Amino acid sequence: MTSKKSEVLQVGIDLGTSRSSISASNGARHVVDSYVGWPVDMVARKVVKKSVLFGKEALDNRPMLDLHRPLERGLIKEGSQKDEEAVRELLGHLISLAGAKEGQKVFAVVGVPAEALRVSKQHLRNAVAGLADSLMIVSEPFAVAYGMDSLLHTMIIDIGAGTTDFCVMNGRYPTEEDQRTLTNAGDAIDEHLATLVRNKMPDGRFSIYMVRDWKEKGSFVGEPKGPVVVKVPVHGKPTELDITAEMRRACESLLGPISETLLDLVSRVEPEYQEDVRNNIILAGGGSQIPGLAAALEKTLDEMGGGRVRAVDDPVFAGSNGGLAIALDAPESDWESLAD
Amino acid sequence: MPGKDRLKQQMIRDLVRENRATARGELPARLRRRRRSVNGWLLGGLAATLVVAFSGAISSTAARYAAPRRRSPAGTASPAVPAPEAARTAPQKIDPSLFRLAIRKLVIDPGHGGSDPGAMAGPGLEEKTITLDVAERLRALLKDAPISVVLTRTDDRSLSLERRVEIANAENADLFLSIHINSMPVPDRVGIETFYLGGATDPATARFARDENAGSGYSLADYKTLLEGVYVGVRHDESRQFAETLQSGYFRALRDVNERVQNRGVKTAPLVVLVGTRMPAILAEVSCISNADEARRLATPEYRSALARALYAGVRRIVEPETSAEGLTGGAGAPPSGKGTS
Repeated sequence: MTSKKSEVLQVGIDLGTSRSSISASNGARHVVDSYVGWPVDMVARKVVKKSVLFGKEALDNRPMLDLHRPLERGLIKEGSQKDEEAVRELLGHLISLAGAKEGQKVFAVVGVPAEALRVSKQHLRNAVAGLADSLMIVSEPFAVAYGMDSLLHTMIIDIGAGTTDFCVMNGRYPTEEDQRTLTNAGDAIDEHLATLVRNKMPDGRFSIYMVRDWKEKGSFVGEPKGPVVVKVPVHGKPTELDITAEMRRACESLLGPISETLLDLVSRVEPEYQEDVRNNIILAGGGSQIPGLAAALEKTLDEMGGGRVRAVDDPVFAGSNGGLAIALDAPESDWESLAD
Repeated sequence: MPGKDRLKQQMIRDLVRENRATARGELPARLRRRRRSVNGWLLGGLAATLVVAFSGAISSTAARYAAPRRRSPAGTASPAVPAPEAARTAPQKIDPSLFRLAIRKLVIDPGHGGSDPGAMAGPGLEEKTITLDVAERLRALLKDAPISVVLTRTDDRSLSLERRVEIANAENADLFLSIHINSMPVPDRVGIETFYLGGATDPATARFARDENAGSGYSLADYKTLLEGVYVGVRHDESRQFAETLQSGYFRALRDVNERVQNRGVKTAPLVVLVGTRMPAILAEVSCISNADEARRLATPEYRSALARALYAGVRRIVEPETSAEGLTGGAGAPPSGKGTS
């Protein structure tokens, strides 16, 4: 299978619960919401004019679709053939967006939530078989660390929608002991916020998609920059509601579990390197952009002698760029050994 | 930087090796290592425990409890040591009635707390507040009982399920009781129920377990390790007995003050706090906040005292089975007056 580098398109893919992105060696970069929908019947098919829809287009047409978000809580839903198919469609769509030329080989590194890697790696391999000429599956926080060249004395906290993945980089390929996964992540904030708002306004009618939108626009930890006001339909009439306190409470629900896990993982690092790790904590994933979160976690570290927490500059592509870096660095012989 | 390049090359080699193993359907090497160490720990820990209790039959009994060995993947080198006979047989239960041992310490776990309010009913009435209040009232009632009582939290703070488990295990408790307040989709019901460790028996229980396990602080790998470490038989049976005794004692006592309460019985659920704790452990849903009338009651200190007294009746049946039988009809098991009341 020996092939020149130019005959191969290397791609890094971040297969996320909420969003998935691809970075390719030809410079292409794309992101889609991780929704896949099939028209429910012939009528719907005629209206949407496609056999399968992805991302925002799928979400916007959801009444006519059998809509799937295949990586709920960071895993392919067990036993759901439709969700396996959705993963396959989503990856196929991303690879097609990258624009491989006719006959060009595709070598793909797919980053997935650490939990999916741990539980259903074989499952994932089967789901994506045939989409690329050769394939590697990696844990998302490792891909982020690799892409940032942060391989030593660094902790990556990848706050996604379904899971928050922790990975301590000790200068070796991370083992299970170096990694943790929590289900306290973006979706948990959405559910918590929905409960709080429902309690505040029992007559309000809203969907989880609306709550997700409120969170993306108004999330914060600590002191708000201003009031968070949303419009909630009450008996059909849009009604303004100040959800500043509820937003804070929902977002800060992440703090306890993340702080505890962070401190626990730091305490397990070799003592002479603990300070280095404390000063190299990197937040990735959509949750890394919650204003005030990095500062609140730094405050947690004060009790252990202080530390520095920073968010990645490009949360959308940090994972897929890392996957691409791995794909480019992997020797041809390794790709050959993994070819289908 | 040559050093960093070498580091990257090594990492990619490890990554490729792991992917290749998965493609061949093998367990990755790093997982195999972990499994072996867990088995070793289990075998060692159980052997140490059982040597005291079963000085005659230690080898065969300990081997029965050890997790079965994984077969080595084809083509990999492994020492050709035959598995011991006992390791190939299924674990056998031990009759818990053989152990008439005193119960000296109870850990009470007030559910939720801090940023996790638990179930809610309107502004200001939150499960986390009620569970803490009831737990403190129960502790006050048990002040003169022949057991010491420890609470996993004594104020409104976030506490992961993992930390709750750690507290109970560090205290070396004899019993673990997690107090929660039910919330049911049908608002006219006031169901109380008690859970001990086991599989979810119905979809509602599965949903309940999923919600209660959220934010446990455990990874799935940790959880599997915990499951592998669950004592086969004894702790399970003791937890069931604990659950049955508490539920019946509690229900009988509470029905005296609230006749609308429904006994939903004892159930099993795969709850993190029940898996990780090393002593008989149960989770009791002692009231139901989704019922409007019950929510109004729960807002009053008098009703919370009634809940604590009913729990006290259940706990006494376990701690002092002989005296509490008459106590339930007004004898020694009746709660001391003036304690734990509003």
